[in-house]
Amino acid sequence: MIAIRHEDVDIGNLINEAKRPGTGAVVVFDGIVRDDDIREMELEAYEEVALKELEKIAEDAKKLHNLLHVDIVHRIGRLVVGENILIIIVSAGHRQDAYAGSRYIIEEIKKGVPIWKKELTKNGDRWVPGEHAHGKGKSC
Amino acid sequence: MTVKVRFFARFRELLGTDILLEKKSGMVLATLVRELAEKKMDGYEAIFDEKGNFREFVIVMRNGKRLELSETMTVKVADGDEIAVFPPVAGG
Repeated sequence: MIAIRHEDVDIGNLINEAKRPGTGAVVVFDGIVRDDDIREMELEAYEEVALKELEKIAEDAKKLHNLLHVDIVHRIGRLVVGENILIIIVSAGHRQDAYAGSRYIIEEIKKGVPIWKKELTKNGDRWVPGEHAHGKGKSC
Repeated sequence: MTVKVRFFARFRELLGTDILLEKKSGMVLATLVRELAEKKMDGYEAIFDEKGNFREFVIVMRNGKRLELSETMTVKVADGDEIAVFPPVAGG
């Protein structure tokens, strides 16, 4: 499943579905709203473009790291502390590929996928600054 | 021609989004966004520097594809184009 959605997912079900023939390892990344003295987090996406970019990242990760299956679910909307933001589940024949593939996917998402976070605090709201100004390393 | 401009995140809060513009054909992309942003100075100043150029961190897309900022000064928008303007991304 590659998705941008408001609803959470059942991670247990996704893990079971990721166990394709030949699987020797499943790696789960679960990014969570951290309690940085915030009330809630609001996530926004350029959905049409972000979804296509997630699909491409998943395909590239499969090829580069011999993955058997990839799920990426990025949530949007208002989330409270402790809720899941981003779930990445990968399966591979060996743990090295599964770990590397999972790491590749999260780093690529942070580089360029058009999604933004706003932290809602007692003292006002603040947009989380992006780590990569130009996305995909392009000077645009 | 009709062009849609979409701002996201902080730029959306300052300038709105999904703005449909009726313009003469052949308009340069940066000029189109500049004219739109000028209507709200805080939005304009978030996106453009004192010389009227896109700030270096601003990301511009045309129909879902990123443009170099230098390209935005020469690329002409066409009927049906969707232009997106947004700050650095922060997903994950």
